[in-house]
Amino acid sequence: MSRFLRVNMTTGEVKFEEVPEKYMPLGGRALTSQLVYDEVPPTCDPLGPYNKLVIAPGLLSGTSAPSSGRLSVGGKSPLTGGIKEANAGGIASQKLANLGIKAIILEGKPAGSDWYLLKVTPEGAELLPAGDLAGKGTYEVTAICRERYGKKVAVITIGPAGEMLMPAAGVTNNDSDGNSSRYAGRGGLGAVMGSKRIKAIVVDSPATFDVPVQDPERFKAAARKFAKILQDHPVTGQGLPSYGTNVLMNIINEAGALPTRNFRFGRFDKAAEVSGEKLAEVAVARGGKATHACHPGCVMRCSNVYPMPDGKVCAPIEYETAWCFGPNLEIGDLDVIAKLNYICNDVGLDTIEVGCTLGVLAEAGVIPFGDGEAAIRALEEVAKGTPLGRILGGGSANAGKIYGVTRVPAVKGQGIPAYDPRGCKGNGVTYATTPMGADHTAGYAVTANILKVGGFVDPLKAESQVELSRNLQIATAFIDSSGLCLFVAFAVLDNPEGMPAIVEMLNAMYGLNLTADDVLNMGKQVLKVEREFNRKAGFTSADDRLPEFFSQEELPPHNTVFDVRAEELDQVFNF
Amino acid sequence: MRLEVRVFSGLEKFMPGARFGQAIEVERPEGTTVAGLVDSLGIPRSQVFTVLVNGRHAAMDAVLQPGDRVSLFPPVGGG
Repeated sequence: MSRFLRVNMTTGEVKFEEVPEKYMPLGGRALTSQLVYDEVPPTCDPLGPYNKLVIAPGLLSGTSAPSSGRLSVGGKSPLTGGIKEANAGGIASQKLANLGIKAIILEGKPAGSDWYLLKVTPEGAELLPAGDLAGKGTYEVTAICRERYGKKVAVITIGPAGEMLMPAAGVTNNDSDGNSSRYAGRGGLGAVMGSKRIKAIVVDSPATFDVPVQDPERFKAAARKFAKILQDHPVTGQGLPSYGTNVLMNIINEAGALPTRNFRFGRFDKAAEVSGEKLAEVAVARGGKATHACHPGCVMRCSNVYPMPDGKVCAPIEYETAWCFGPNLEIGDLDVIAKLNYICNDVGLDTIEVGCTLGVLAEAGVIPFGDGEAAIRALEEVAKGTPLGRILGGGSANAGKIYGVTRVPAVKGQGIPAYDPRGCKGNGVTYATTPMGADHTAGYAVTANILKVGGFVDPLKAESQVELSRNLQIATAFIDSSGLCLFVAFAVLDNPEGMPAIVEMLNAMYGLNLTADDVLNMGKQVLKVEREFNRKAGFTSADDRLPEFFSQEELPPHNTVFDVRAEELDQVFNF
Repeated sequence: MRLEVRVFSGLEKFMPGARFGQAIEVERPEGTTVAGLVDSLGIPRSQVFTVLVNGRHAAMDAVLQPGDRVSLFPPVGGG
């Protein structure tokens, strides 16, 4: 029987609650967003006592469904001021689901300055003092917790950036090897966790795949079918397992959509040097791994293990991170990228936001473009809490204001990821309109725009991008609720049997009779709830726009501007 | 005519000495199509999933022009 674990940090009360009927069919993002909508006043201070941090496994998490161990973390974002769901891999989701926990809700705020650890085991949950963990980086915290509570525990934690309530702070958890690198990174939810004075949540579960399903035979057949669909698709079966997400570096560069030098150019002459192909070569030569699963039961295994020259390991280096510290800063050295990535993981920051912020700082002349050592030195300021460190942890939009920079790639205060909206206009529509602030995953139009998955829509033309983004945002909102990794979408978009297989797993697990239309309606409902929260928080259509320079400055090599009209952008959610 | 070819993500294994992302200059007759180029490079067509010519998607029957930058990819994805 699944339950909510509600932790009131004002009173210190920790209690399990029965899940009210209305939340039973929800999981992952659908659940975090609905709970935030129902329980968090939209106008509240994101770091105050009325905000809540909601952590929820997806609907299929903790079963044998392939690649289903995604974790949703939700709340009101200190970065955007709107609703946020950040989605992570790692092992926490499956463990929570196997403990019968549908969601953890952290609420209130303690009066004192003590830090706490929430320990969750099959026997129950308790708050413990965590003063000894305060100030420590996430790698050390995770190592201490695994030492103290067992090698197999999942550790959900924040770094010093989260403790210092920085708007770019993320919430991390670990993979099976203990790397605290699986981030619910975006939107500053690490600061929300920090505001609750929770340094870490330790989840100890003996089981990983044993969440009860109503019809085990039917479920097993559907799961097997879905695994085959993933293995048979060229992207999920071959592309992702071979080179990981950073295989994108070269194709986005060749397509002329790789944001270079803070979104000034669409190509970077050293792109190949920081690509997935190079990464795989170096990782393997140094004894690392070109392919690795972020959680047990993943068939795509798009992660990697990159040994750094200093003997530490950065696992993984993802495409977004390689881009934001590479081409975005005109840095063509994977070792520099790995170091910046590692520091972010350790200090507890979202890599994309930090990369965008470093780009803005370079624009302002605070650090030079192309200077890896200067970027590393700046990032090392974060843990010290110096003014520069706090600016860096404050995100790109804030840094732009402080330094008077107008070339700031951000929407709703959140930094734009690794596809220039002038060279991949479908993603431009998604950046502008998603309730999350600029987020590539919210409606990943790179599929049809560049990868030729799920059809083809010319990335350089304005036509059809709104419809493409709309359909992807709806499907994504559902996938993010299912616990499945969003990357299953590559196969689902091309294989008409994909979505029915997912629906079949849900029906077999919960004893339901859902149709594909029903689950897409769930996606629509998620978006409606999120949009409504944002509306009540003060957002209008004026917030659904890209920064001005994207419509004014042409992006080489195709010399295009973002020209999807405002009235069209306002039609994305017309359902 | 002279073409500038780049291969990626494993396709380089079909071309001895080639390295991913490195520009390879080749001479081909006028009128050569993408398919003709791929065949002449010894890369099985079934392995080529995406073709970009000067950064734009091109079909296998597209006719190449002098100086074109041709980039060949197997299935790739991520995000």
